[in-house]
Amino acid sequence: MDRQTEFVLRAMEERDVRFVRLWFTDVLGTLKSVAIAPAELEGAFAEGIGFDGSSIEGFARVFESDMVAHPDPSTFQLLPWRQQQRGTARMFCDIRLPDGSPSYSDPRYVLKRALKQASDMGFTFYTHPEIEFFLLQGAAGGDGAPLPLDKGGYFDHTTLGAGTDFRRDAIEMLEQMGISVEFSHHEGAPGQHEIDLRYADALTMADNIMTFRVVIREVAVSQGIQATFMPKPFTEYAGSGMHTHVSLFEGDNNAFYDASDEFHLSKVGRQFVAGLLRHSAEITAVTNQWVNSYKRLAGGGEAPSYVCWGRNNRSALVRVPLLKPDKPSSARVEFRSIDSAANPYLAYALMLNAGLAGIKGEYELPDEAADDVWSLSDRERRALGITQLPRNLDEAIRVMEQSELAAETLGESVFDYFLRNKRAEFADYARQVTPYEVAKMLPVV
Amino acid sequence: MTRLASTTGDLARRGFHDPDTAFRHLGELPPQASDFLDLFDRAPDPDLALMGVVSVAGTPEYAALADDREAVNRLVAVLGGSIALNHHLAQRPAHLAVFADVPERHEASAILARVLADIGAADPMAVASAPDATDRLRVANKRELCRIAARDLSSGDPFAAVDDIAAELADLADAIMVGALCIARAEVADHADARFAIVGLGKCGARELNYVSDVDVLFVAEPARDDVAAEHAARVATRLAAATTRICSAHTATGTIWQVDAGLRPEGNAGPLVRSLASMRSYYEKWASNWEFQAMLKARPMAGDADLGAAFVDLVAPLVWLAGERENFIAESQAMRKRVIALIPPKEAAREIKLSSGGLRDVEFSVQLLQLVHGRSDERLRLRATLPSLDALVSNGYIGRSDGAELASAYRLQRALEHRVQLQRLRRTHLMPDDDRGMRMLARGLGFRTSEELVDAWKASTRRVQRLHQRVFYSPLLEAVARIHTDELRLSPDAARTRLRALGFHDPAAALRHIGALTQGASRAVEIQRQLMPAMLGWFADGPNPDHGLLSFRQVSESLGTTHWYLRALRDEGQMAEHLAHILSSSRYAVGLLQRAPETVQLLADDAECSVRTRDELTRSMMRAAERHESTEDAFASVRARRRKELLRLAIADLLHRCDEVAIGAGLADLAGATIDAALAIAARGDEGAPPVGVVAMGRWGGREMSHGSDADAMFVIPDSDDETAVKRATAVVARMRQLLAAPGPDPALEVDADLRPDGKFGPMVRSLSSCLAYYRSHSATWEAQALLRAGFGAGDVDTVGRLLVAADSIRYPSGGLTRTQIAEIRRLKARMETERMPRGSDPARNTKMGPGGLADVEWTVQLLQLQHGHDLPGLRTTSTLDALHAAQEAGLVTAPDAAALEAAWRLATRLRNAIMLVRARASDLIPGDAREAAAIAYLLGYEPASASLLVDEWRKAARRAGGVVGRLFWGED
Repeated sequence: MDRQTEFVLRAMEERDVRFVRLWFTDVLGTLKSVAIAPAELEGAFAEGIGFDGSSIEGFARVFESDMVAHPDPSTFQLLPWRQQQRGTARMFCDIRLPDGSPSYSDPRYVLKRALKQASDMGFTFYTHPEIEFFLLQGAAGGDGAPLPLDKGGYFDHTTLGAGTDFRRDAIEMLEQMGISVEFSHHEGAPGQHEIDLRYADALTMADNIMTFRVVIREVAVSQGIQATFMPKPFTEYAGSGMHTHVSLFEGDNNAFYDASDEFHLSKVGRQFVAGLLRHSAEITAVTNQWVNSYKRLAGGGEAPSYVCWGRNNRSALVRVPLLKPDKPSSARVEFRSIDSAANPYLAYALMLNAGLAGIKGEYELPDEAADDVWSLSDRERRALGITQLPRNLDEAIRVMEQSELAAETLGESVFDYFLRNKRAEFADYARQVTPYEVAKMLPVV
Repeated sequence: MTRLASTTGDLARRGFHDPDTAFRHLGELPPQASDFLDLFDRAPDPDLALMGVVSVAGTPEYAALADDREAVNRLVAVLGGSIALNHHLAQRPAHLAVFADVPERHEASAILARVLADIGAADPMAVASAPDATDRLRVANKRELCRIAARDLSSGDPFAAVDDIAAELADLADAIMVGALCIARAEVADHADARFAIVGLGKCGARELNYVSDVDVLFVAEPARDDVAAEHAARVATRLAAATTRICSAHTATGTIWQVDAGLRPEGNAGPLVRSLASMRSYYEKWASNWEFQAMLKARPMAGDADLGAAFVDLVAPLVWLAGERENFIAESQAMRKRVIALIPPKEAAREIKLSSGGLRDVEFSVQLLQLVHGRSDERLRLRATLPSLDALVSNGYIGRSDGAELASAYRLQRALEHRVQLQRLRRTHLMPDDDRGMRMLARGLGFRTSEELVDAWKASTRRVQRLHQRVFYSPLLEAVARIHTDELRLSPDAARTRLRALGFHDPAAALRHIGALTQGASRAVEIQRQLMPAMLGWFADGPNPDHGLLSFRQVSESLGTTHWYLRALRDEGQMAEHLAHILSSSRYAVGLLQRAPETVQLLADDAECSVRTRDELTRSMMRAAERHESTEDAFASVRARRRKELLRLAIADLLHRCDEVAIGAGLADLAGATIDAALAIAARGDEGAPPVGVVAMGRWGGREMSHGSDADAMFVIPDSDDETAVKRATAVVARMRQLLAAPGPDPALEVDADLRPDGKFGPMVRSLSSCLAYYRSHSATWEAQALLRAGFGAGDVDTVGRLLVAADSIRYPSGGLTRTQIAEIRRLKARMETERMPRGSDPARNTKMGPGGLADVEWTVQLLQLQHGHDLPGLRTTSTLDALHAAQEAGLVTAPDAAALEAAWRLATRLRNAIMLVRARASDLIPGDAREAAAIAYLLGYEPASASLLVDEWRKAARRAGGVVGRLFWGED
C-alpha cells in the first residue's frame, strides 16, 4: 500500500465518507461513474473493480469485455455538492485488463502514453484552458429554441443575479475540489461565460476539465438553470471554444523561452508550434469532434479555421502571447481551435504529440501571419501558404484516417473506434432535413 | 634494513608507485624511522603512507610512538589506507596517541564515556552547553574512527573482522547520537517538558554500521509530566530532533559526522518528524505497508529516554512478524527489489557493491524475507543483524548449511570492500573506485596482489549470491517433504506451504506432493533431481504457469527417471534443465508432444538436436522408420511417432527462439513432405504394380509457410499410362495413406486436404497428368489459377509433379496478365470470403488470418501481382509469399515502405499463430480475448509481463498499415 492509498483510506474514515464514485471517461469524453461502499475500497485498490467494458462507448466488444478499474488515489476528492457529513468522494480510475496490462481504450492511458513519450524526451507538458460555456434559462422559448440566461457582453459586470452568483458558486466549489481558477468573466455572447483554470500538468488538467464539467452542471441544476458546453448553440452568436495555452518544461525551466529570440520563443517552442500547425488538420476530428463543432469554426471573425500563427492575431490558429522577459516561466503558446466539447485526454495527447513531432522532425516555423486571415482572398491565402482546417466532420475524418500521428497517439483501438463512430455520426447528420432548409426552400421551390 | 641501503629500485619492489618521490621523502625522516621501512610492504598505498609519516614525523606525539613497532605498523596501515584520516592526523597529531592502544574492541559504555567527557556532559541525559561542543563531538568521532580503523586495517583477516568492526562502528554512532542530543538540549530551553527517544533503524539499528552511511532513525516523544500538553511536548521534541539532526549532519571546519535520515518514519518525509506512542501505534496497526515492517525489523532504542524507546520497540515488534503472512508479500518485495536494480544508473551498475544484482542488498534482502516469512511462528529467527540472522536461519533448517556458509562468506567479502572504499575518503559511497590508484589501494589493503584479482573475487562473490539468492528460497522445500531425515533441521510442511504460496504457486499442497515425489528416495535419479529441484522451481516460478510446469516435470521425470542419459543430461547440461523448465511452464502443445514419448526430451540435451532438419535427412529417417516394420499399421505408427518427434523439435526451436517463422514454416513443410513420402510407400505395399503417385503441395504447404498444427493441402497426379486400372489403384493407395495418417492414435494426425484439386470436392481424387492439364486448359476458373500459384513439389513422384508444374506456368503466369473481368472476379471472391469465413461474433481486428491486414490480405495482394506480372517477371514465379513480395519490390511494383508494411504484418501474424498453438495446443487464427491467455502468448513473443494489451495494439498497428497498402494494391483504392 503506498502513501496515497493510505491517505485515502484514512480520509474516508475520518470524514465518514459513505460512497466513493470511481470515475473514468469513455472514448467520446463522457464521464462514467461507478459507486462503491468504503468497505470495498481496499479491495479496489488491491485488485481493481471488474466491469463489463462492452457496454462503454469505445471500450471493448463483447468478446473481450472483462475490464478492471483501478482507482488512482492521487485523485481522491470529496464531492462538495453532496452532503458534507457522511459525504461522497470521487477518484479517477485507470482501466486495465485482467492480466494487469493497461487498456488501450482508456483515454487516460492514451494521454499517459503521450506524456511518457514527452518525459522520455525530458519534457513535462503543462496546459491552461480557457473554458467557455453558455448558461440557459431552465425552460426553452416558445419555439423550443434555447434562451440565454442574460443579455450581457464581453467582460460585462452584469447584474444578472443568477449568472454572477453562478460563477461565484461554481468557482467556490471548484476550489473546494482543489481546482484553482485563474480568471473568470462574461464572454461576448449573451449567456456566455468563460472560466480559466490555473495551469497544471496535462493529466491533472484533463481530470480537472472532466470535474469542471460536472461541477458547472451541478451548480446550474441547483439554481434551476441549464449549462451547456455545446460548441455552437446559437447561429447568431459566437461558439464556445476551449483555447488552451500549452508549454513544455525541462525540469524547472520553461523550454519555450529564449531571451535572445525576437519573440522570446525558443527553438523548441518554434518547432512545437510548427508541429501543431502541420498536424492540426489531422487532429481536428478530435479537437472538434462533433458535427456542431464545425459551425463554430465556420463562424468567421475570431474563429481559428486557418492554419497559421501570429502574436496579436485573433484569427490565427496558434497565438504566441507576448512573452515577458521577467517571467520566463510563463512562456506558452495558445492553441485555439479546440472546443469545450472535446475529450480533453485525447485532444491534449494529440496536441502534445503534434508539437513533439515538430521537435523531433525539426520542423521549420512558417512566417507569422500578420493580417486578419478571414479578410484575405483565397489567392492571397494561397500565396502566403495558409491552408484551411477541415470544414466539416467528414473532411476531418478523411484527413485523420490517413494520419499515422493520430493512430500512433490514440492507439489502434481508440483510433479505429473513433473513426467508426464519427463516420456514423456524420452519416446520420447527412440524412437530416434542417429547419434552415425548410425555411429557405419550402416557400420557393 | 638501513637507510643507505634503500634505493629507488628497492622501493619500487616494495610497492611504491613513485619511488623517486618516496626516496626523497625518506631523506626527510629521522634516521630511526626508516627502520620501519618493511612495514610499508603491507600498507594499502605505501606512497600515501610515507607522505603521512613525513608530515607527522616531527611531532612529539609521533616521537612517543616511534619505538613501538606495532603502533607504527597500525599508523602506517591507517595513513596508507585512508586519505581522509591521513589528512586528519596531519592536522591533529594529538590523535596519534590512539595507535599506542592495544587493538581491541572497546565496550560501548567506554566509548560513550569518552565522547561525553569530550563534550563536557556528565551523563547521557545531561545538557552539554559548551559553545564549541559541536566541534568537539566531531573531533571525538574522528579520533574513535582512527582507533577503529587502526584495528581494522591491521587485522590479519579483514573478512573475519568485518562484523565486529561494523558493530563497534554502531556503538560509536550510538555514543555520537547521545552526545548530539546532549548538545541539542542546550539549544532547546524547555527540553525537560518532553520525554524524547531516538530509535535506530537500518544498519544502525542492526548494529552493523558502515564507516560512513546515513544513520536511519525515528523519533518518539511523550509529555514529561501530566501538566504538559501533548502539543507542547511534540513541539519541544520536534525542536530537539531537528537540532540533533543538524548537529550530526552539519559541515564545518572540523568536518562532518554523518547524515541522520528520518525518512523511514510514518508517512515518510511528508509526516511529522516526531510522534507519540499512541500515534505510532495507530499508524502501524492500520496504515503501514509491508516494506515498512521490513524496516522495523531492525528497530532498537538508540538515544534519549530509554524506557520510551523500548516501549516503541515493544509496540512494533509483534506487528513486524505479521507482515510475512500478508498477501503477495514476497512478490511485492521482490518487485520492489527489481525496481531498485533497474534504477541504478547504467554508468554505476558495474561498480555498485551494495545495490547491484548479487550485491549486499540481495543477501540482506533474502535473509530478511525469510525471517519475515518464517519468523512469526519461530521466535528464534527474530534477530536484527544480517550475519546472526543468517546463522539462525541455517541452524533452524530454513536455509541449507552450505548455502548459508557461502552466502556469509560472500557477504563478508562485499562488506569489507564497502568499508575500505568508504574509508579511503570517508565518503558515503558504495561504488568501487573508478581510478587505478583507488583500486590498487583497495586490492593491497585486502591482501590481493592485483586489482584484477580483487575484481575477480568480487565478481565471483556476486555470481555466487545471484545463484544462492534463488536457492535459499527453494532448497529447504525439499527437506520439508523428505521422508528420510538428514542431519539438517527441516522446514515444517506449514512453513513450506507458506513459502510456496508466497512464490506464486496457486496450489501449494499439490506442488509439495510433486516435489516430494520427485525428491524422495535414495536412488541416483532422486539424488540428481534433489540437486536440480531448487533451480527448476525458480524457473517455473518465473514462467506464466508454475503449477503446470511442475506437474509436467513430474510426469516427464517419472517416465524417464531411471534413464541414464536423462539424469546425466539434466545434471551436466546446465542449459538443458533451464530450457526444459521454460518449455514445461509455457507450452501446452510441446508438453503434449513430450508426454506421449518423454524420451524425446533428449532433444534438449544437445544443442545441435534443436536445429531444424533438412528434407533429405527427414525423408531418410522416415523411410527407415517405415522399413523396419512388416505390418502396415506398425509402419504407420512408427512414421507418425517419428513425425511427432520432429514436430517437437520444431516446437522447441520456436520456443527457444532458435529460428524465425520462415524457417519454422519451411521445416514444417519439409516434415509434411517426408511424412507423406513414407506414408505413400507404406500404403503402396499391398499393390506392387500401382503407379507412382505425385503429390503436389498446395496452399501453405506449397508455399513452405506452415504453422504448428497446419493441415497439408495437396493434389495427386500419376503419369499417363495405358493401364486402365492405374487411376483406380492409385486412388486406393492415396485413400489408404490419408486414412492412416488422419486416424486417431497416440501421435498427432496429419490431415491431407485435397479440396483444391481440379473440380474441387467433386472431382476425382487422383488424375493422370494429361487429364489434369486438359482440365486446367479448358475449364479452369481464375481462382484455380490463383491456387496454382502456390503449387510446388510435395512428395512422391518427382518427375510427374515436375511436368505438371512446368505446364501449369502458362495458367498461373498468364501472358498478358489478368483481364479486368478476372481482377473483378478475384476481388469479389475475396470480399465474399471476408464475410463468410470470418467466425461469427468474433472481432475481425483480432483475426490474424482473415482480418484486415491479416495473412489473407497480404497473400492475396501478392498473388494478384504474381498473376498479373508473373509472365514477364521470372522473380515472381515462386510459391513463397515473401520471396514474391521482395521480387515485386525489386521490379518496382511495390514501394519499399509498402513492402515493409506487408512483410511486417505477415511475419507478426505468422508468429502469433504459432505462439497461439504453442500456448493453447489448439490452432486458432484469433488472438485470445482472455487476457491471461493473451499474456502467455505475449510472454512467448518476448514481451514484458502484463503486456496483453500492448501485444494486441501492436498487431492492430501492423495490420492497419498493411491494410492500407492492401486497399491500394489489391482493391485499387486511392
